[in-house]
Amino acid sequence: MNEAARMEMIQDIKDSLRSSSIHLSQWKLLKSAKWSIEALQGMEDVPLDSSDMSQDNMMDANSSNNHAKTIFNERKNGRIPRMNDGFTEDEFDKYLLASSLFDCKEFDRCVYFLENVSEPRLKFLKLYCKYLSWDKKTVESVENVLVTGKAKDPNQCNDSSDLGRDNEQNSDSNGFTSYLKSKKDGSVQHMEDGHQSSVALILKELRDYLNKNELNLLRSKEGELGVALLYYLKGVLLHQNGNKPQALTAYVNSLSLYSFNWTCWVELLDCISRPDESLLILKHLNEQFELSEQNHYGTQRINTENIMLKFFKLSLFQEFSGNIDEFLANLELLLSIAPNFAYLKVQNALVYYNHMDYTNSESIFDQIIKLDPYRLEDLDIYSNILYVMQKQSKLAYLAQFVSQIDRFRPETCCIIANYYSARQEHEKSIMYFRRALILNKKSTSAWTLMGHEFVELKNSHAAVECYRRAVDINNRDFRAWYGLGQAYEVLDMHMYSLYYFQKACALKPLDRRMWQATADCYAKLKYSSGAIKCYLRALQLSTNPDQEAQLFYRLAEQYEETSELEKCKSYMIKCMELERSNEGLVTDEAIKAKLWLAKNEFQNKNYEEAYNYAISITNGTSQEVEEARTIARNCRMLLK
Amino acid sequence: MSPGRTPSQHNSTLAISPFITNRYSRSVAPPPQQQQQQQQQLTQRQTHSRTQNNEKDGDLLPNSSVNHSRIDNFQAIVSSPLGLKTRDPPAPPSLATPYHQFKGNNDSTRVKNGSMFGYAVPSTVRKVSIQENDYRNTTTRSNNNNNIDDVMDHSESKDGDRLTTTLTTTTTAATAADIDVSDLSSVERLRLWRHDALMQHMYDTAEFVGNKIYTITKDPNDAFWLAQVYYYKGSYKRTIDLLSLDNLDTTSIMCRYLITLCLFNLQKYDDALDIIGETNPFASSNSADMAADEDYDENHEFQSDGGIKIESSLCFLRGKIYSAQNNFTRAKECYKEAVLIDVKNFEAFQQLTNKNLLTPKEEWELLDCLDFSSLDDNKQVIKQLYTIACSNYINKDRIETSKRILCEEYTLESNVDVIKCEVELCFSNCKYNECLDYCERYLAKDELNPKILPTYIACLQELGATNKLFLVSHKLAERIPKDAITWYSVATYYMSLKKIGEARKFYSKSLIMDPSFAAAWLGFVHTFAAEGEQDQALAAYSTAARFFPGNHLPNMFLGMQYMSLNNYALAEEYFTLAYDICSQDPLLLNEMGVLYFKKDEYEKSKKFLNKAMEQVTGLNPTARTTISIQLNLAHTYRKLGDYERAIKCFKYVLEDSEKDGDIYLTLGFLYLKIKQLEKAISYLHKALALKPKNTAAQELLLHALELNVVLAIDDDHPLVVSSKIQNEIDRTEMSPHGVPTMEQAANIKKRPSIPFLDSGRTISKRSRRNDVLKNKSRTNSNHFEEDEAMDLE
Repeated sequence: MNEAARMEMIQDIKDSLRSSSIHLSQWKLLKSAKWSIEALQGMEDVPLDSSDMSQDNMMDANSSNNHAKTIFNERKNGRIPRMNDGFTEDEFDKYLLASSLFDCKEFDRCVYFLENVSEPRLKFLKLYCKYLSWDKKTVESVENVLVTGKAKDPNQCNDSSDLGRDNEQNSDSNGFTSYLKSKKDGSVQHMEDGHQSSVALILKELRDYLNKNELNLLRSKEGELGVALLYYLKGVLLHQNGNKPQALTAYVNSLSLYSFNWTCWVELLDCISRPDESLLILKHLNEQFELSEQNHYGTQRINTENIMLKFFKLSLFQEFSGNIDEFLANLELLLSIAPNFAYLKVQNALVYYNHMDYTNSESIFDQIIKLDPYRLEDLDIYSNILYVMQKQSKLAYLAQFVSQIDRFRPETCCIIANYYSARQEHEKSIMYFRRALILNKKSTSAWTLMGHEFVELKNSHAAVECYRRAVDINNRDFRAWYGLGQAYEVLDMHMYSLYYFQKACALKPLDRRMWQATADCYAKLKYSSGAIKCYLRALQLSTNPDQEAQLFYRLAEQYEETSELEKCKSYMIKCMELERSNEGLVTDEAIKAKLWLAKNEFQNKNYEEAYNYAISITNGTSQEVEEARTIARNCRMLLK
Repeated sequence: MSPGRTPSQHNSTLAISPFITNRYSRSVAPPPQQQQQQQQQLTQRQTHSRTQNNEKDGDLLPNSSVNHSRIDNFQAIVSSPLGLKTRDPPAPPSLATPYHQFKGNNDSTRVKNGSMFGYAVPSTVRKVSIQENDYRNTTTRSNNNNNIDDVMDHSESKDGDRLTTTLTTTTTAATAADIDVSDLSSVERLRLWRHDALMQHMYDTAEFVGNKIYTITKDPNDAFWLAQVYYYKGSYKRTIDLLSLDNLDTTSIMCRYLITLCLFNLQKYDDALDIIGETNPFASSNSADMAADEDYDENHEFQSDGGIKIESSLCFLRGKIYSAQNNFTRAKECYKEAVLIDVKNFEAFQQLTNKNLLTPKEEWELLDCLDFSSLDDNKQVIKQLYTIACSNYINKDRIETSKRILCEEYTLESNVDVIKCEVELCFSNCKYNECLDYCERYLAKDELNPKILPTYIACLQELGATNKLFLVSHKLAERIPKDAITWYSVATYYMSLKKIGEARKFYSKSLIMDPSFAAAWLGFVHTFAAEGEQDQALAAYSTAARFFPGNHLPNMFLGMQYMSLNNYALAEEYFTLAYDICSQDPLLLNEMGVLYFKKDEYEKSKKFLNKAMEQVTGLNPTARTTISIQLNLAHTYRKLGDYERAIKCFKYVLEDSEKDGDIYLTLGFLYLKIKQLEKAISYLHKALALKPKNTAAQELLLHALELNVVLAIDDDHPLVVSSKIQNEIDRTEMSPHGVPTMEQAANIKKRPSIPFLDSGRTISKRSRRNDVLKNKSRTNSNHFEEDEAMDLE
């Protein structure tokens, strides 16, 4: 890419981000707007004049390219959108009214004044307000339950129901069960004037409107933006209703019309629940995804060049992994464009974090804090890292620091909770996680971490409840599935446990721990063939001899169960040999393997072999050593 | 027929003379004007007037809330020789009426509203006329009433060429162009006085004067008018006494009507029936030779005056008596007869449609039988208005067309009947929010409109807007405490607060005021059902079924009650009864589907539920009706073994409705049936999340998990599948325009580390990172082997 073209591209991205930030804040998608402008802020400075100059020079050199020139000029003129673009005077006044009502959070009034609008963007604002109003009321109707929910008392958790679920009366998980319940029950809000409001009703109005007007609207730039916004809202509503496939379609529609809506990409990612779906969506985006011309200047119209698509691919990789080189190349490119964009840095840190490289991750977070000290997003991950690295003092400092910035942010609460957890004050930790969840009920990591805290408190039932919430919100969270499996294992309910481990395993098929846990469950359920297959798989994925020794031994055990003694023996030998190849490393499994081999050879009357095995057992539990000695003595006697 | 509450009733009755059967008096009447007059009159459907042509303008105008634009017509009337003079005409041809007074000369088109009730047209002046030939037969007026029968007989004999003359003491209308009050005799002036008093609701004055007149003249006409005065005063007994004194009831049909009305008001139904006759005495006359019929035969010849035929009114009254006696079959017949005799008898039609005497089908049949030809120019509009009053269970398209015509051609879109039709359509289509909008918009103009209020209240109940219901109930209780609708509203409020006892109290209060109020009846019965008092509920439902033969709901609820008692045979019977009445109600079809489902007749059940689905297509998909039908249909498919379709139905429901544990449970079960373990387990989990205590779900989940354990790990196992997918993902090139795969693979090996990221990092950290990558690539390679291994095994 030559310098001029690169400059042009960067300028193009800047323009797009700038106008998108204006659009999005005009239409109250504040998070997206923030993201856009942060990205713009993080971009390296491109001197405006030079790019124009180079552009002009290029044009002169290639004067036949008039078309490109006009596009460029148009772009320049329409660079900064005005607030009243495409409005009649009346509509604009209405917008201003609605906008200020929205800012004052008077959603019902806003809906009332926008009742009969036909302009797509105003329609969006109206339905959006309707949705927010509904959401607010629903939340308010359940909030009391959450706030007054008593702290969990492990002693009270004696519910005998099979799933370990607490009944509603049980004060133990009172807050959470009824939280969910009332959430569902309250999905139709009756307003005092007899007007009902529910997601389904809003959705119906939205659908009717789109069916009727979509084609007409797509003719103008403003109409296109309006339709994009409406599709986005449709996606949100469908998502709320749990209809992910349709929500996904709506999001993709919205993005093809207007791709600079970052939350829409995030939501799109949320709709993908399985790895194979991620594959499909990626394929679709690469091949069929078409960006509308009107809202994307210059290079941003092209799929491969569209910067938002690249950002999305980064996020997609974080969730589902993929080709790491491709990912790194993408990240490099984006970082070269926007070197100071905190979001990108976080992505970089996340890669390290996901690959358990905490040191690097930590250092990147340090950078981020220096760069933008009051940015609270993603700092909960930073606190996780510090927690795992057991850097308590740093964690304490972080907790103090963020609580001074804003005590009522979910991230803050999570960080404080992590801090208390590190200090072994699990009750307090749980309290803060609970706060975090009041502030953001969709935070899966908070649910999962709270589950871990309950495990620490030996309250498996409550832990199960938490993990389950996490899974309900995001069923790709393998940690929660794994946690569920572990909790049920503690409760000796291996059948359930197995299913959850399988789930976790399906999400992380390259993680040895998942396979091993699954295999253990199979073994406990006496289903050896399943166990064997899973152990074999785990073995393929294992990376250090310690783990392998364990796996070899367990495999051997399973073969013994199925009376395939040959295989059993061979794995026992493998397990033993591992010790030999790794000098000095003695594992419990190796001892057990040797003991088994000794017994086996003794039975097969290979006394000499048995003797050799037996005497090689030098350490281990006293019982094992005793047993080995007995065998050795017997062998010696028989050999004589 | 309450004592003159509204001007229209007041006037219309006023205009009726007992002794005059023929009001088509002027042979010289110019035809175009007549027509205009008729048009005027037809716009007032409730009028009972049988006025003479030349009197009509006086009677008409008080009623005509219509058409200021038609002032031209009035002027035509006024300037015609038929127009009657009033007492103080500002200009000779102009006419003052209670409602309209032309300001200045008659060229002025402005109507001065302030002059309401200013002048009354002396009706006595123009009332009494009989046919000329009768007049010749009678020598004196005193024996006139002996000849009344004669008069009646002859009056019907011929239509066109009758010559009539007025019998009133002084005036003949032919010369009416400039009547002067001073020309009138003293009695005539008294009559004017009486009339004015009556018009201005000064009944004591009217009685005082009327009494004097009657004593002076002994004229049966005056007796009749005195009786009218009594009637308005509510002294029904005196009315009867007065009229029977002179045997007027035997001689005049109008008197007889009045007496019956009084008896009806006194609730002496048997006596009333005695007077009016148990059946329509004219019934045969339609077929028989008219001339041969010696009784009061009033047939087509009187249509042209535009009034309602007294015969029809009599039939209607008879119907009312029967319905007061709870004899609904007879009542229905009488009403039908009334409306068939004269289509202008709207009240009869209204009784039939509103009080659920006819089934929807019968209503439409009746509508098709009605003869609107007597309405001439207004034929179209009235027919459409009648159409939209019919039941909207069937022929929705016809209603829609009629509504459109009314809105477009007659600009009646804000008229109460059109609104009512609209509101009911919305309500029956479960579009409650729109319905509410329409209601509120109309009620803003006319708060206490009895046609809109019941639907409005039902709508509020449906939407759970208890606060509004509270307000409305209070308003009604303050304004019209004696109306059934008020207490219905109050009861509904309590019902939606689930205060059953109070609700029942107020429902019964409402029923005392109007025993034929179907909605209150049903609400009343529901209170029993809500408290689980089956026997009382059953008894009350059966009574309701008897009271409202045209309403399928009581029968349906009976069926439902029996179904809940597990008495399927009886339930089926009642459902069939309801089905015969109305085969289109989705609720009923749904219930029938459920019944057959319970009886294990799934095919039948499927049939009915599919029919129900047809009925609700186009409704709001989130309406409870639609959802429950879908659910039932899904269960039926499940029972029929059509799992795929059942799943589809359930999913459809889930898209739009509240989340329900049972749906998830069933879905889990179905997926278990079709061996999709993973989905089954996940749905069962969802079910348990909503209903943790559900043992069925627990057992099913356990079963599914057991199956999950023994599921062989082969190529189709989810674990293997996901591994393969992951494999694929890792191999995917992210950009189609990137380097080709082979080259890329080479790249991986070539590239020992990632150069750009950590340029400033320490070596140790970088190597650590490389470890990560190494592990990564290693797992990749392992993965291939694993796949092969799996294949081998």
